[in-house]
Amino acid sequence: MSLLTVKDLQVSIGGKSILQDIDLTVSRGRVLGIVGESGSGKSMTAYAIMRLLPDGSELSGEILFNDTDLAAASEEAMCQVRGRSIGMVFQEPMTALNPLHTIGDQIAETVRIHSKVGRAEALRITLDTLRRVELPPEEFPPSRYPHELSGGQRQRVVIAMAIALRPQLLIADEPTTALDVTTQAQLLSLLKRLVDTDQMALILISHDLAVIANTADDIAVMRNGVVVESGSTENIFNHMQHPYTVSLLKASGHVPEKLAAGVLADEPLLVVKDLVRDYRLPRKRFFDAVNYFRAVDNVSFTIKRGENVGLVGESGCGKSTLTRAILGLEETQGGTITLDGERIVAKSEMSLACRRKMQVVFQDPYGSFNPRHSVGRSVAEPLHALEDRPDRLAQQKAVQEVLERVGLNAADSKKYIHEFSGGQRQRIAIARALIIRPSLIILDEAVSALDVSIRAQILDLLVELAASDDIAYLFISHDLSVVRSFTQRLLVMKDGRIVEEGQTDVVFSRPQHPYTQSLIDAVPVVPTVFAQRE
Amino acid sequence: MIRYLARRLVSLALTLLIASVIIFLALEVVPGDPASVMLGVNAQPETVQALREELGLNVSKPMRYFNWVSGMLVGDFGTSYTYRTPISEMIADRMVISFPLALYALLLSTLIAFPAGIIAATKRGSLSDLSIMGMTQLGVAIPNFWFAMILVIIFAINLQWFSAGGFPGWEAGAFAGIKALTLPAIALALPQASILARVMRSSLLDTLGEDFIRTARAKGLSARQALWRHALRNAMIPVLTIIGLQFSFLLAGAIIIENIFFLPGLGRLIFQAITQRDLIVVESVVMLLVFAVVAVTFLVDIAYAVVDPRLRHRLQ
Repeated sequence: MSLLTVKDLQVSIGGKSILQDIDLTVSRGRVLGIVGESGSGKSMTAYAIMRLLPDGSELSGEILFNDTDLAAASEEAMCQVRGRSIGMVFQEPMTALNPLHTIGDQIAETVRIHSKVGRAEALRITLDTLRRVELPPEEFPPSRYPHELSGGQRQRVVIAMAIALRPQLLIADEPTTALDVTTQAQLLSLLKRLVDTDQMALILISHDLAVIANTADDIAVMRNGVVVESGSTENIFNHMQHPYTVSLLKASGHVPEKLAAGVLADEPLLVVKDLVRDYRLPRKRFFDAVNYFRAVDNVSFTIKRGENVGLVGESGCGKSTLTRAILGLEETQGGTITLDGERIVAKSEMSLACRRKMQVVFQDPYGSFNPRHSVGRSVAEPLHALEDRPDRLAQQKAVQEVLERVGLNAADSKKYIHEFSGGQRQRIAIARALIIRPSLIILDEAVSALDVSIRAQILDLLVELAASDDIAYLFISHDLSVVRSFTQRLLVMKDGRIVEEGQTDVVFSRPQHPYTQSLIDAVPVVPTVFAQRE
Repeated sequence: MIRYLARRLVSLALTLLIASVIIFLALEVVPGDPASVMLGVNAQPETVQALREELGLNVSKPMRYFNWVSGMLVGDFGTSYTYRTPISEMIADRMVISFPLALYALLLSTLIAFPAGIIAATKRGSLSDLSIMGMTQLGVAIPNFWFAMILVIIFAINLQWFSAGGFPGWEAGAFAGIKALTLPAIALALPQASILARVMRSSLLDTLGEDFIRTARAKGLSARQALWRHALRNAMIPVLTIIGLQFSFLLAGAIIIENIFFLPGLGRLIFQAITQRDLIVVESVVMLLVFAVVAVTFLVDIAYAVVDPRLRHRLQ
């Protein structure tokens, strides 16, 4: 007997069809994984079940939950269902909690709006729930505020709010996407344990096929508002029917053709030596000694011309600070950074000739462009920093050339950034980096926000450009599977130090440092029994 | 928190000190000396000399500054040249009108703006949102002296509910006093309420779009509960800033309205003092207003910390 049965679900917003003929079922004690790329309608399906669709949406079909049709339920009835019978967890733990209320109040709120229990009983349930999500109240008292917790801890609080009343169904929409791999692994196992102990049903929504493959009992693959394939996890992976599912699997394990190792010139391009970056901590009392936080601690490494080096580590390990220091945007307290023989020093003292040798591509392809500048103007911007600035015509020509090189049209230079998709935007960001022919491009989570199929295309493009232009990459990512397939050498960073360094293949197959081992263990992989089929 | 308050108080004191120096120097910059400026070009030298002595201008500048500041600290602002009365008394007389008037107008403005902003935000795009936004547009655009005159014509002349101006004094009773201040307060509140309602609406709309509102709804809170429990307090920070600014403005910015309603308030005092070149009065009242602005800012700072635990945290 299934707990939730969705039949013929249709959703349209402002006349535009968003979901068509969605059929899903999930039973108690089981996990249904919904996988798909951005825009596939997987989150909308979740909102439709919760009846929390945006204003102006129309919904038809049946959502049978315990034999009641939620699609026909009144708003008052839905308020009874939400939080009590169906809980929901969202992607962004940093913003999902109200910053002005304590975590205890927020968990207790779920209890108190659904039952007439007193303050003491609500507190007892809150403490109990905190224990269930493995935040022992001794360490994490309910009087804490969200900003005092890390992302993973906040996500546990969000889960606690959703499961405080032991709902029959939990919907988790990309619950671990914003988190580090080790945190992700812990949270997924927590969710699985909750399903087992409470006989709860779980709908897990993710773009990551490996996460779904490891957690779900059944899978529904969505694309453009339609379920293209569904069935038990084993069945899906062993008898993959739909070409889209096949391509999704292929793209998520995509390995771009690497450069032959012999091509590498043995010439160091970037040399970082004993680099130290201290941040001054605020003093507790006026006469206290000044304390420092060492974000980058004696880091040394070399990137050769044309080499592709990965840098991995969890949030807060100092990756970003190191990147900023290399870019000359951060004062350092010790050590040296040399690019092509020239010292990199912070801020304006750096020569333009040196600065033009490196460029950076960031994670957020939309946020890193000025929305009011045309693409042509944005891409041409690095040219303005040159001492020998080319004239207007030459600039135009350079922009068009570089846009074509990254697979766009010369005519795109007249358009604005909002007219492009995420993948195209990242191509434009790469074009902007390429235009002054740098020797080093720092890719700071540059493919993390992209769908797997788009990611595969961008990785191919990057490898191709590296080969033709002799560009070295410093590839910073939290996604170890991408790092594994894309880089030649790997640096593992923890607490401001490089704890392991070596050939990527070697590090992955024989990690030396326990931390590297734990990172690799935490990476969800599509089980090989399934993957063999592919 | 106590350290934060102490730090804010120190910065408050420093701001006042700097302001007092600037105000004092501004008077020194006046060509010639204050006495001859006050008496005009045709004054007899003896008269000027007499006034200089009276004003205490015959001692050195640092000494004069010290006398002025130390006087203010004990409530002695000096003596008005034109009225021959202690300035502290004049200010006190005006404050009993200006302060309640500003408070009254602010209260009205908040009482109008909060519901208007909340309705407009929750029913975004609806007829009520459109009409509220239309009215606030008008409220900002209409000059408040014109609106004040319309109020006088309707409520004082035609309906005769209120008197057209003047102030009976608080001796006549609290009700009479409040009644006399009602029309001016409405006239003052209208543009302020319009601005505040718009700020409230946009701030609330931002907050209602936040992820934690969605979380609250997923817990089973109704849209209304989510608004009252989670959105409003988060939306208050920009609103508090505006309220703080408005209060200091209302305290001194009521010159025109005070003139229309013949209210002997602070605004009129400055106006008269300037036209009569009573520079000592100007100096003292300006200093007092600076104090009011700084004090209100201090209160708003405290309010921020009360509302937002992240700020309290950062202060520790």
